[in-house]
Amino acid sequence: MAEPILKRIAAGDKNAVEDCLNAYGGLVYSIARKLMSNEADAEDAVQEAFIDIWKNAGRYDATVASEATFIAMIARRRVIDKIRSIGRRIATDPIEEMVSEPGSTDHKFIQISVEAKEAAEAMKTLRPEQQKVLHLSIVGGMSHQEIAETTGIPLGTVKTHARRGLLRVREALGLGGVTDFEPQEAAI
Amino acid sequence: MTEKDRELLLDLLTRQATEGLTSEESRRLAVLEGSDDDSFDLAAAALMMAELEPADALPAHLRSRIAADAADFVSTNVESSQIEKAVGEIPPRRTPLLSWLGWAVAAAALIALGINISMTRFGVTEIARNPPPTATPTPMTPAQSHDEMMAEPGMTVAKWTPAAKDGEMAKVAGDVVWSDKQQKGYVKLSGLPKNDPNASTYQLWIFEENQGDKTPIDGGTFNISSDGTVVIPIEAKLAAKNPSMFAVTVERPGGVVVSKREKVAALAKVETSRPPDA
Repeated sequence: MAEPILKRIAAGDKNAVEDCLNAYGGLVYSIARKLMSNEADAEDAVQEAFIDIWKNAGRYDATVASEATFIAMIARRRVIDKIRSIGRRIATDPIEEMVSEPGSTDHKFIQISVEAKEAAEAMKTLRPEQQKVLHLSIVGGMSHQEIAETTGIPLGTVKTHARRGLLRVREALGLGGVTDFEPQEAAI
Repeated sequence: MTEKDRELLLDLLTRQATEGLTSEESRRLAVLEGSDDDSFDLAAAALMMAELEPADALPAHLRSRIAADAADFVSTNVESSQIEKAVGEIPPRRTPLLSWLGWAVAAAALIALGINISMTRFGVTEIARNPPPTATPTPMTPAQSHDEMMAEPGMTVAKWTPAAKDGEMAKVAGDVVWSDKQQKGYVKLSGLPKNDPNASTYQLWIFEENQGDKTPIDGGTFNISSDGTVVIPIEAKLAAKNPSMFAVTVERPGGVVVSKREKVAALAKVETSRPPDA
């Protein structure tokens, strides 16, 4: 099996930079463009995300997650931080008209991440309201408050759905960590 | 850890993975035991990738900037201690080796299982779209699968009608078949004008019980490149239950996050209540 690109980067292999950009440049760029409406802001976020990736390459553990998922995680963090720092809304269109995420017919990113495919399956097993909250939050880029205002779901319930839904997905992916608590189902 | 701290930790990890934290909240998280848990963020990243539509390729000028940055951080002279130091700077959390090792074995086993399942699933998908010459039995085309589902009892079926009586989409016709039980279905359409994929795309929406009319479930994007009838597999991103209507809209390439529903091409209203899937 070929050595992970991130391990090569951590080892100082400059050729791995090109390989990383070829393999995951589109992924990071897509995440930024999805969550940020301003092109210039998105490009800045992508540039900063890759600095994070270079710095964190040595942390990558292939037994925990695929390279794509690890990189997507770093990219999301950077993009979300960027959005918060510039104080701009993620989507430019009216929240009221938010509809579910568009589908893809080529599933490019699902094919490069085992976890993405499993997450998609896990998502379908969640309660509809959990699906809705996670979808609007993670893919639609809406804050919990915005979701509450848009859907009419009380803010506390939105938070509960987000937590329980994410815990379920995490469990399905085998990502139980040091805070692996048993979610308690209760009528909401 | 106290129950209060545990509750706070869960809240902050969830919010960090879904909507981000303020600086103050990040500081509060950093002092909690377990704050280095990446699993929430990894799960959120996986969920996002599952539904992420690929954007355009990385622009050349941006790629150049990134490559220039890399020269400062990726070097054969970098010692491991320097890397570790840099790791501690960004992003805010870092998972200690021990916390990874604790569940690495289980994760590896699950990933292996996932790969196995994934390969099986991809195999099915690939067979449906690109039949291998030696495949046995012969896989069905989407059109054949559509016809087969139409013949099954208990399917949700609706007829496409044009959204407008006049114009280039006035002759849209066809049907749609969907199974709640199988969570699959097919759209059969004729009369849709060819579209330039660089300028627009068609997008399918499922109005159903779980999400309500305000947030219909995305059924996938598709393009029309030739005249005649097309059959397209429905790719519902969320579990659909008891659909009441299907719609096709015209959107920008790749689809939209927020549809203004400005250009609706066709509608298929489920007229009758059918018995549940057998």
